[in-house]
Amino acid sequence: MLIYIVRRLLYSVVVLIAASFIIFSFVSLSNDPLAFLKMQPNASEQTIENITKRKHLDQSIPVQYVYWAKDAITNQFGTTTIGNRPILPDLTRVMGHTLQLVIAAEILAILVAVIIGVYSALRQYSMFDYTATTFSFVGLATPVFWLALMLQVLFVNIYLWFDVRIFYTASLSGVDPGSGLHFVLDRAQHLGLPIIVLMAASVATYSRYMRASMLEVVNSDYVRTARAKGVSERGVTMRHAFRNALIPLVTIVALNFGGLLGGVVVTETVFALDGMGLYFVTQLQLGDPYPVMAWLMVTATLVIVFNLIADIAYGFLDPRVRYD
Amino acid sequence: MRKRSMLVVAGAVALVASLIVGPAATAKSERQAAGTVVIGHDQEPVTLNNLITEGNAYTTSLVTNVVLAGGSIYNQNAKLVPYLFNGPAKLVKSNPLTVSFAYKANAAWSDGRQVTGADFLATYRTIMNPNWDITSREGWEDIASVKVKGKNVTVTFKKGKSYAAWDALVASSPYPAHKMAGKNFNDLYRESLDVSSGPFKFSSWQKGTQLVLVKNTAFKAGKPAKVDRVVFRYIPSTPSLFQALQSGEIQVTEPQPQLQIVDIRKNSKFNVQSGPGYFYEHMDIQFGPKGHPALKQRYVRQALITGINRAQIRQALYVTPGLVASAKSLPVLQSLIFKPFEEPYQPNWAKFGFNQQKAINILKGKGCTGGPAKPTANNSDIWSCPGVGKLSFRFTTTSGNQLRALTFEVAQKQLKSVGIELVPRFGPAGTVFGQVLPSGDWDIFMFTWLGGPTSSATSFGLYGCGGDQNYMNYCNKKASDMYKTAQFTPDPVKRAQILNQAEKIMVNDVPSVPMYVRPGFLINSTGVKGPVLNPTQQGSTWNAELWSTSN
Repeated sequence: MLIYIVRRLLYSVVVLIAASFIIFSFVSLSNDPLAFLKMQPNASEQTIENITKRKHLDQSIPVQYVYWAKDAITNQFGTTTIGNRPILPDLTRVMGHTLQLVIAAEILAILVAVIIGVYSALRQYSMFDYTATTFSFVGLATPVFWLALMLQVLFVNIYLWFDVRIFYTASLSGVDPGSGLHFVLDRAQHLGLPIIVLMAASVATYSRYMRASMLEVVNSDYVRTARAKGVSERGVTMRHAFRNALIPLVTIVALNFGGLLGGVVVTETVFALDGMGLYFVTQLQLGDPYPVMAWLMVTATLVIVFNLIADIAYGFLDPRVRYD
Repeated sequence: MRKRSMLVVAGAVALVASLIVGPAATAKSERQAAGTVVIGHDQEPVTLNNLITEGNAYTTSLVTNVVLAGGSIYNQNAKLVPYLFNGPAKLVKSNPLTVSFAYKANAAWSDGRQVTGADFLATYRTIMNPNWDITSREGWEDIASVKVKGKNVTVTFKKGKSYAAWDALVASSPYPAHKMAGKNFNDLYRESLDVSSGPFKFSSWQKGTQLVLVKNTAFKAGKPAKVDRVVFRYIPSTPSLFQALQSGEIQVTEPQPQLQIVDIRKNSKFNVQSGPGYFYEHMDIQFGPKGHPALKQRYVRQALITGINRAQIRQALYVTPGLVASAKSLPVLQSLIFKPFEEPYQPNWAKFGFNQQKAINILKGKGCTGGPAKPTANNSDIWSCPGVGKLSFRFTTTSGNQLRALTFEVAQKQLKSVGIELVPRFGPAGTVFGQVLPSGDWDIFMFTWLGGPTSSATSFGLYGCGGDQNYMNYCNKKASDMYKTAQFTPDPVKRAQILNQAEKIMVNDVPSVPMYVRPGFLINSTGVKGPVLNPTQQGSTWNAELWSTSN
């Protein structure tokens, strides 16, 4: 197992280096970080020259990449091209916000999806099963931006009609978020809609997996054996079927989680949440390769780590799986 | 057993719901403290130092203009009015240009120190320090000396460098000398602003969410702020900005032109102000070696501008959708130097009215062949002119901008009906502005110049021979000399005359097609009294100390 993990990590380093060079080249070739400055009437030539020299913008892309790599390794992802501002504090801040959103959404999504999936499987072809299936497909087919905007409109109108604010439509916190329970409630009201949006797609996916997995397990020989031995239906469902049916879901959740931590671009943009996704889009628009690369390295590392966790978890949960 | 489980689940759901909905029901916008105005903006400042490149943004000015006050400020009519100055800056001598001004006796920093000429001197020295990433040193580099005596300052410019926009230059916000000394100016005010000379002072900045200013009780140089706090909330998505406005999460905003404005206009809970600003959309024509040879012919350029119905484009973009109240409030731009609301504005480009038959006649008269005899909507015949080939031009602009895409579509159809073809070459802003525009490898380029009240004085850079930002490679020696003269003519009336004369010469060459001035919008809920649209970089907060709330 240890050899397997080390081997996977070594492969990952190669993937990271290759991906970083490709992305750095693309971002640098497609954008000039000084473009906006150059468009300012009477921009100072001295300043443009200073920044060009400081960030080696007059060098070839491979040379610029080497400077970036050195900066990233020795100087915590380095500084922005314009302004020479440290990147890590901003990245840490947005990462924290995305974590809040994604963890809450995923926990709730898993809870709801597991309940729906298990119940659908146990009541296969019932009205509940058909309804859950229909809503799952609706959830999968609904564009995230549309759902986000519709929820905003709905809750704004609820506020206007009833003068009751259930959820806020934008930002991470209120003007006066307060502290303690007041802060928690304020945060919940701000994260409520983005969580619902993220949950919609996740619940749809997870519940389908859970249903399929549960159906496979409840019809297996060992479950039939358990029933034959006189184990209660609840015991069969919870102890024998449910636990084993969770294995595929764990893998899917781990893989999905790694991707989500890179930021949920649309959701964060619509709800003005200062997270990884919005950070990435903003920096990409500015055309500054340094913060974009920092984001990429963090995201790529997270995806690799969570892929690895998914593989390892699978091995732990399913004794039939062995890694050589 | 199952019933009990369901009861437990139902209880848990009810608990969570009550935790959220219960307190939420009382969490109305009125929960915000009285005397707080919340401004929504789509862009967040990167730093609070607006002299350096990363702080050179409108969103930074909105915050800093009321904290680091100017000697004079631009009012809603784009006129400079004294603020920290005790009167308008005076022109002492024309050559070498010498000006003097004085700060008010009660102009003071929030930490108790006086605002003096030493602050202006320190600001000048900081701007001229080559180590700092200053956005523009224009005008400052023409200063020969700054003499300071307490609150009085005399600035002398270099001989022959009578910087035309001297009044705006000396009116710039002085930075505090006692706070800048020995500091790395590139890093100064990156996270906070610890001193104020204006009606508000910095309180807190929750990055990515909001920035809070509070009333500066030490401010005596002008009227004290009526509200306790101004909060800037940053919402990058424009549709979300409108939702936040309607739900009372923000009260004031300056949105980009969007159709939602039309709905907001009909809502009695909001005031919508709109008016032309200093940013103007135009189509530049390439005169350099990489441009189309046909566009080097004046008659082709004249046919081009005659074949475009600029009034209809303005109508389709802003008037018909109801974004602006009427066509009168957004006239077709007929000058590249002055804006329609500026006194010296003259409709120099009006001589090129829309006339499709005339455009065809111009081309036919010069021996061009293959085009239509009459303008028709479904025409597919394109002119070829002697020695310069087919009139098919690359049209470059930024992708992802709906208004520009619509402008292109309308102009393309209009020109096609007279036998001139436009081929789209759209690209991301970074690429087209960073690489394509300076390279000169384009035929027609549509974009916006981000101007201001002093931009006219520096027209040489855009339209003079060899001007820094003359990406068209256009050169008319006579007009160019006049633009250069205007740049160093301190008398605004005389300068305007020279500029209008120069433009009349330039108009005959048709190096560019002026389209329209981009309108600015200011929306505020009726609960906030006082916001007035300001077309300059001073922005909507220019009179924030006069705002009041009814909550």
